[in-house]
Amino acid sequence: MIEIEARKEAASRTARLDAVFAALADPTRRAIIERLSRGEARVTEVAEPFHMSLNAVSKHIRVLEVSGVVERHRKGRDHILSINTRSLDEVDGWIVRTRRYWEERLDAMERLLRELKKDHKAGPKDRKHGSR
Amino acid sequence: MVHGDTTDPIVQVRRRVSAGAEQIFDLWTKPDLMVRWMSPYPGAVDCKASCDLRPGGAFSLVMSSGESSREVSGTYVHIDRPRKLVFTWMGPLTNNVNTLVTVELTPRGDETDLVLTHQRLPTPAICEGHTRGWGHILDHLADAVSKDF
Repeated sequence: MIEIEARKEAASRTARLDAVFAALADPTRRAIIERLSRGEARVTEVAEPFHMSLNAVSKHIRVLEVSGVVERHRKGRDHILSINTRSLDEVDGWIVRTRRYWEERLDAMERLLRELKKDHKAGPKDRKHGSR
Repeated sequence: MVHGDTTDPIVQVRRRVSAGAEQIFDLWTKPDLMVRWMSPYPGAVDCKASCDLRPGGAFSLVMSSGESSREVSGTYVHIDRPRKLVFTWMGPLTNNVNTLVTVELTPRGDETDLVLTHQRLPTPAICEGHTRGWGHILDHLADAVSKDF
Protein backbone atom coordinates (compact mmCIF):
# COMPACT_ATOMS: atom_id res chain seq x y z
CA MET A 1 0.00 0.00 0.00
CA ILE A 2 2.72 2.42 1.02
CA GLU A 3 4.78 1.30 -1.94
CA ILE A 4 1.91 2.01 -4.33
CA GLU A 5 1.53 5.49 -2.86
CA ALA A 6 5.27 6.05 -3.20
CA ARG A 7 5.11 4.93 -6.81
CA LYS A 8 2.18 7.26 -7.50
CA GLU A 9 4.11 10.09 -5.91
CA ALA A 10 7.18 9.28 -8.03
CA ALA A 11 5.01 9.08 -11.16
CA SER A 12 3.41 12.46 -10.55
CA ARG A 13 6.81 13.97 -9.72
CA THR A 14 8.09 12.55 -13.00
CA ALA A 15 5.12 14.00 -14.88
CA ARG A 16 5.67 17.41 -13.28
CA LEU A 17 9.38 17.32 -14.05
CA ASP A 18 8.66 16.29 -17.65
CA ALA A 19 6.25 19.20 -18.02
CA VAL A 20 8.80 21.63 -16.61
CA PHE A 21 11.60 20.33 -18.85
CA ALA A 22 9.32 20.46 -21.89
CA ALA A 23 8.34 24.00 -20.95
CA LEU A 24 12.00 25.01 -20.66
CA ALA A 25 12.94 23.44 -23.99
CA ASP A 26 11.88 26.47 -26.01
CA PRO A 27 13.81 29.74 -26.41
CA THR A 28 10.71 31.97 -26.28
CA ARG A 29 9.51 30.34 -23.08
CA ARG A 30 12.96 30.60 -21.51
CA ALA A 31 12.99 34.29 -22.42
CA ILE A 32 9.59 34.70 -20.73
CA ILE A 33 10.94 32.99 -17.61
CA GLU A 34 13.98 35.25 -17.69
CA ARG A 35 11.73 38.30 -17.88
CA LEU A 36 9.59 37.07 -14.97
CA SER A 37 12.65 36.18 -12.89
CA ARG A 38 13.21 39.95 -12.67
CA GLY A 39 9.73 40.41 -11.19
CA GLU A 40 6.07 39.80 -11.92
CA ALA A 41 4.58 41.42 -15.00
CA ARG A 42 1.37 41.91 -16.96
CA VAL A 43 0.73 39.60 -19.91
CA THR A 44 1.04 42.53 -22.34
CA GLU A 45 4.39 43.55 -20.82
CA VAL A 46 5.69 40.01 -21.19
CA ALA A 47 4.55 39.86 -24.82
CA GLU A 48 6.00 43.24 -25.79
CA PRO A 49 9.63 42.34 -26.65
CA PHE A 50 8.65 39.42 -28.89
CA HIS A 51 8.15 39.84 -32.61
CA MET A 52 5.05 37.70 -32.60
CA SER A 53 1.34 38.10 -32.04
CA LEU A 54 -0.11 38.34 -28.55
CA ASN A 55 -1.97 35.16 -29.38
CA ALA A 56 1.29 33.30 -30.11
CA VAL A 57 2.88 34.53 -26.89
CA SER A 58 -0.27 33.58 -24.98
CA LYS A 59 0.14 29.99 -26.19
CA HIS A 60 3.66 29.89 -24.74
CA ILE A 61 2.41 31.39 -21.49
CA ARG A 62 -0.29 28.73 -21.37
CA VAL A 63 2.35 25.98 -21.65
CA LEU A 64 4.29 27.59 -18.81
CA GLU A 65 1.14 27.77 -16.68
CA VAL A 66 0.20 24.13 -17.30
CA SER A 67 3.74 23.04 -16.36
CA GLY A 68 3.42 25.02 -13.13
CA VAL A 69 6.44 27.20 -13.88
CA VAL A 70 4.32 30.34 -14.24
CA GLU A 71 1.32 31.43 -12.19
CA ARG A 72 -1.34 33.95 -13.07
CA HIS A 73 -3.41 36.12 -10.78
CA ARG A 74 -5.67 39.09 -11.38
CA LYS A 75 -5.15 42.59 -10.14
CA GLY A 76 -8.28 44.50 -11.10
CA ARG A 77 -8.48 44.17 -14.87
CA ASP A 78 -4.89 43.06 -15.33
CA HIS A 79 -3.60 39.54 -15.57
CA ILE A 80 -0.33 39.37 -13.67
CA LEU A 81 2.20 36.62 -14.31
CA SER A 82 4.85 35.44 -11.85
CA ILE A 83 7.27 32.55 -11.49
CA ASN A 84 6.50 29.62 -9.22
CA THR A 85 10.02 28.95 -7.95
CA ARG A 86 8.98 25.64 -6.38
CA SER A 87 8.59 24.05 -9.81
CA LEU A 88 12.10 25.14 -10.74
CA ASP A 89 13.39 23.78 -7.43
CA GLU A 90 12.37 20.32 -8.66
CA VAL A 91 14.56 20.81 -11.70
CA ASP A 92 17.40 21.92 -9.44
CA GLY A 93 16.82 18.78 -7.35
CA TRP A 94 17.11 16.61 -10.44
CA ILE A 95 20.33 18.37 -11.42
CA VAL A 96 21.86 17.87 -7.96
CA ARG A 97 20.90 14.17 -7.79
CA THR A 98 22.18 13.48 -11.30
CA ARG A 99 25.47 15.27 -10.73
CA ARG A 100 26.05 13.33 -7.51
CA TYR A 101 25.20 10.06 -9.28
CA TRP A 102 27.76 10.60 -12.05
CA GLU A 103 30.45 11.89 -9.67
CA GLU A 104 30.08 8.64 -7.69
CA ARG A 105 30.09 6.50 -10.82
CA LEU A 106 33.22 8.22 -12.13
CA ASP A 107 34.89 7.68 -8.72
CA ALA A 108 34.09 3.97 -9.11
CA MET A 109 35.39 4.02 -12.68
CA GLU A 110 38.71 5.49 -11.52
CA ARG A 111 38.97 2.89 -8.74
CA LEU A 112 38.52 0.16 -11.33
CA LEU A 113 41.16 1.75 -13.57
CA ARG A 114 43.63 1.66 -10.66
CA GLU A 115 42.76 -2.01 -10.03
CA LEU A 116 43.27 -2.85 -13.68
CA LYS A 117 46.62 -1.05 -13.62
CA LYS A 118 47.73 -3.14 -10.64
CA ASP A 119 46.69 -6.29 -12.48
CA HIS A 120 48.95 -5.28 -15.35
CA LYS A 121 51.98 -4.37 -13.31
CA ALA A 122 54.20 -5.66 -16.06
CA GLY A 123 53.10 -2.63 -18.09
CA PRO A 124 55.60 0.09 -19.06
CA LYS A 125 54.47 2.61 -16.44
CA ASP A 126 53.31 2.17 -12.91
CA ARG A 127 51.84 5.37 -11.58
CA LYS A 128 50.67 4.94 -8.04
CA HIS A 129 48.64 8.10 -7.74
CA GLY A 130 46.01 9.05 -10.23
CA SER A 131 46.07 12.77 -10.88
CA ARG A 132 43.01 14.94 -11.26
CA MET B 1 19.90 27.88 -10.54
CA VAL B 2 17.72 27.83 -13.60
CA HIS B 3 16.23 31.24 -12.95
CA GLY B 4 17.22 33.85 -15.47
CA ASP B 5 19.29 31.31 -17.36
CA THR B 6 18.66 30.92 -21.04
CA THR B 7 20.42 27.59 -21.44
CA ASP B 8 18.72 24.21 -21.24
CA PRO B 9 18.93 22.46 -17.90
CA ILE B 10 21.73 19.95 -18.23
CA VAL B 11 24.19 18.26 -15.94
CA GLN B 12 27.83 18.33 -16.95
CA VAL B 13 30.62 16.55 -15.12
CA ARG B 14 34.27 16.99 -16.18
CA ARG B 15 37.18 14.93 -15.03
CA ARG B 16 40.79 14.30 -16.02
CA VAL B 17 41.35 10.56 -15.85
CA SER B 18 44.79 8.92 -15.75
CA ALA B 19 44.16 6.38 -18.47
CA GLY B 20 44.01 6.33 -22.24
CA ALA B 21 40.82 7.21 -24.09
CA GLU B 22 40.52 3.72 -25.61
CA GLN B 23 40.69 2.02 -22.22
CA ILE B 24 38.05 4.39 -20.84
CA PHE B 25 35.86 3.84 -23.88
CA ASP B 26 36.06 0.09 -23.22
CA LEU B 27 34.93 0.59 -19.62
CA TRP B 28 31.79 2.24 -20.96
CA THR B 29 31.02 -0.28 -23.67
CA LYS B 30 32.24 -3.75 -22.68
CA PRO B 31 29.71 -5.63 -20.54
CA ASP B 32 32.33 -7.46 -18.41
CA LEU B 33 33.87 -4.08 -17.50
CA MET B 34 30.57 -2.18 -17.23
CA VAL B 35 29.36 -4.43 -14.41
CA ARG B 36 32.46 -3.60 -12.36
CA TRP B 37 31.75 0.11 -11.87
CA MET B 38 28.38 1.16 -13.23
CA SER B 39 26.25 -0.30 -10.46
CA PRO B 40 25.20 2.36 -7.97
CA TYR B 41 23.90 -0.18 -5.47
CA PRO B 42 26.43 -1.32 -2.88
CA GLY B 43 24.27 -4.34 -2.04
CA ALA B 44 24.19 -5.57 -5.61
CA VAL B 45 25.63 -9.07 -5.74
CA ASP B 46 24.64 -10.07 -9.21
CA CYS B 47 25.17 -7.59 -12.04
CA LYS B 48 24.54 -8.41 -15.64
CA ALA B 49 25.25 -6.20 -18.59
CA SER B 50 24.62 -6.62 -22.25
CA CYS B 51 25.13 -4.28 -25.14
CA ASP B 52 24.73 -4.16 -28.86
CA LEU B 53 27.28 -1.50 -29.74
CA ARG B 54 25.92 0.08 -32.91
CA PRO B 55 23.72 3.12 -33.50
CA GLY B 56 20.20 2.11 -32.52
CA GLY B 57 21.52 -0.90 -30.57
CA ALA B 58 20.41 -1.38 -26.98
CA PHE B 59 22.31 -1.88 -23.74
CA SER B 60 21.09 -2.90 -20.34
CA LEU B 61 22.54 -3.29 -16.91
CA VAL B 62 20.68 -5.34 -14.32
CA MET B 63 21.68 -5.02 -10.69
CA SER B 64 20.27 -7.58 -8.30
CA SER B 65 20.54 -7.78 -4.56
CA GLY B 66 18.65 -10.76 -3.22
CA GLU B 67 15.03 -10.59 -4.32
CA SER B 68 14.97 -7.12 -5.84
CA SER B 69 16.65 -6.05 -9.01
CA ARG B 70 16.95 -2.78 -10.84
CA GLU B 71 17.71 -2.07 -14.40
CA VAL B 72 19.31 0.72 -16.33
CA SER B 73 18.90 0.61 -20.07
CA GLY B 74 19.21 2.70 -23.18
CA THR B 75 19.97 2.89 -26.86
CA TYR B 76 23.18 3.97 -28.56
CA VAL B 77 22.72 7.10 -30.62
CA HIS B 78 26.27 7.88 -31.73
CA ILE B 79 29.46 5.82 -31.43
CA ASP B 80 32.85 7.25 -32.30
CA ARG B 81 35.49 5.14 -30.58
CA PRO B 82 37.37 6.39 -28.59
CA ARG B 83 36.24 10.02 -28.74
CA LYS B 84 32.51 10.10 -28.25
CA LEU B 85 29.61 7.99 -27.08
CA VAL B 86 26.00 9.17 -27.02
CA PHE B 87 23.21 7.03 -25.62
CA THR B 88 19.76 7.29 -24.13
CA TRP B 89 19.54 6.41 -20.46
CA MET B 90 16.57 5.19 -18.48
CA GLY B 91 16.51 3.86 -14.95
CA PRO B 92 15.66 4.51 -11.32
CA LEU B 93 17.70 7.72 -11.35
CA THR B 94 15.51 9.13 -14.11
CA ASN B 95 12.25 7.69 -12.71
CA ASN B 96 12.31 5.52 -15.82
CA VAL B 97 12.12 8.47 -18.15
CA ASN B 98 14.28 8.48 -21.27
CA THR B 99 17.21 10.88 -20.96
CA LEU B 100 20.33 11.48 -23.03
CA VAL B 101 23.96 10.99 -21.97
CA THR B 102 26.98 12.13 -23.99
CA VAL B 103 30.50 11.04 -23.02
CA GLU B 104 33.34 12.87 -24.75
CA LEU B 105 36.96 11.79 -24.38
CA THR B 106 39.89 14.02 -25.31
CA PRO B 107 43.45 12.62 -24.93
CA ARG B 108 45.88 14.81 -22.96
CA GLY B 109 49.20 13.01 -23.13
CA ASP B 110 48.92 9.94 -20.88
CA GLU B 111 45.65 11.22 -19.48
CA THR B 112 42.20 11.83 -20.86
CA ASP B 113 39.69 14.60 -20.30
CA LEU B 114 36.25 13.12 -19.82
CA VAL B 115 33.19 15.33 -20.19
CA LEU B 116 29.85 13.77 -19.40
CA THR B 117 26.68 15.62 -20.29
CA HIS B 118 23.30 14.38 -19.09
CA GLN B 119 20.17 15.95 -20.55
CA ARG B 120 16.66 15.29 -19.60
CA LEU B 121 14.55 15.10 -22.69
CA PRO B 122 11.19 16.72 -23.17
CA THR B 123 9.44 13.49 -24.10
CA PRO B 124 6.53 15.07 -26.01
CA ALA B 125 9.06 17.00 -28.10
CA ILE B 126 10.71 13.76 -29.21
CA CYS B 127 7.34 12.25 -30.11
CA GLU B 128 6.58 15.18 -32.37
CA GLY B 129 10.06 15.16 -33.86
CA HIS B 130 10.27 18.72 -32.62
CA THR B 131 13.86 19.38 -31.72
CA ARG B 132 14.18 23.14 -32.14
CA GLY B 133 16.40 24.69 -29.52
CA TRP B 134 18.01 21.43 -28.50
CA GLY B 135 20.81 21.31 -31.04
CA HIS B 136 21.57 18.93 -33.84
CA ILE B 137 22.40 16.05 -31.51
CA LEU B 138 18.72 15.58 -30.81
CA ASP B 139 18.03 15.34 -34.51
CA HIS B 140 20.13 12.18 -34.54
CA LEU B 141 18.39 11.01 -31.41
CA ALA B 142 14.93 11.61 -32.80
CA ASP B 143 15.87 9.49 -35.81
CA ALA B 144 17.25 6.76 -33.59
CA VAL B 145 14.43 6.54 -31.11
CA SER B 146 11.33 7.53 -33.11
CA LYS B 147 10.74 3.85 -33.83
CA ASP B 148 10.35 3.19 -30.13
CA PHE B 149 7.50 5.60 -29.60
